[in-house]
Amino acid sequence: MGKTIIWETKMDGALARAKTENKHILLDFFNPG
Amino acid sequence: MDAVTYPDEKVIAFIEKNMIPLRVAFDSQPLAAEFSLKWTPTLITLDPDGKEHQRTVGFLPSEELIPSLLLGIAKSHYDREKFSEALTILDQILKEAPKSDSAPEAIYLKGVCGYKSTHKPKPLKDAYEELQARHPSSEWTKRAYPYRLL
Repeated sequence: MGKTIIWETKMDGALARAKTENKHILLDFFNPG
Repeated sequence: MDAVTYPDEKVIAFIEKNMIPLRVAFDSQPLAAEFSLKWTPTLITLDPDGKEHQRTVGFLPSEELIPSLLLGIAKSHYDREKFSEALTILDQILKEAPKSDSAPEAIYLKGVCGYKSTHKPKPLKDAYEELQARHPSSEWTKRAYPYRLL
């Protein structure tokens, strides 16, 4: 099985990682169907 | 996006290296309201403080997603007046994805960053000439039209 994107699911967690890793956030609003 | 773009190895590698991926349902509150969400997929580039710098609505294939995300990062640097960092990213777009839909805007923004960092008009005129040569029918060529006179 190949690699997949490991998504954060909470904004707080994404922001904490973004600041620690000095990266931008890709926020994807999607329709889970 | 799930069927085609996100499984692409180049997309996975790019996002893993360059971004923090955050995925939420379209009806997830309060985020959907805070970002005035109207349609999916909506992809938004946020800086590390959570401020929005770019959004796209609708499907993007992998060859368009990566330059689009790079453009979002470049806009973030531009908005925060980090012109050198923005220029580095814009050059990357034009080197790696010169035929992408993001390329014309990257050329335009490169001209603006060049002007703002040097206070000389040449980068703006250069941007117009490059747009006219490579993307004559682009909206960004029209927007740069006045710069031909500089």
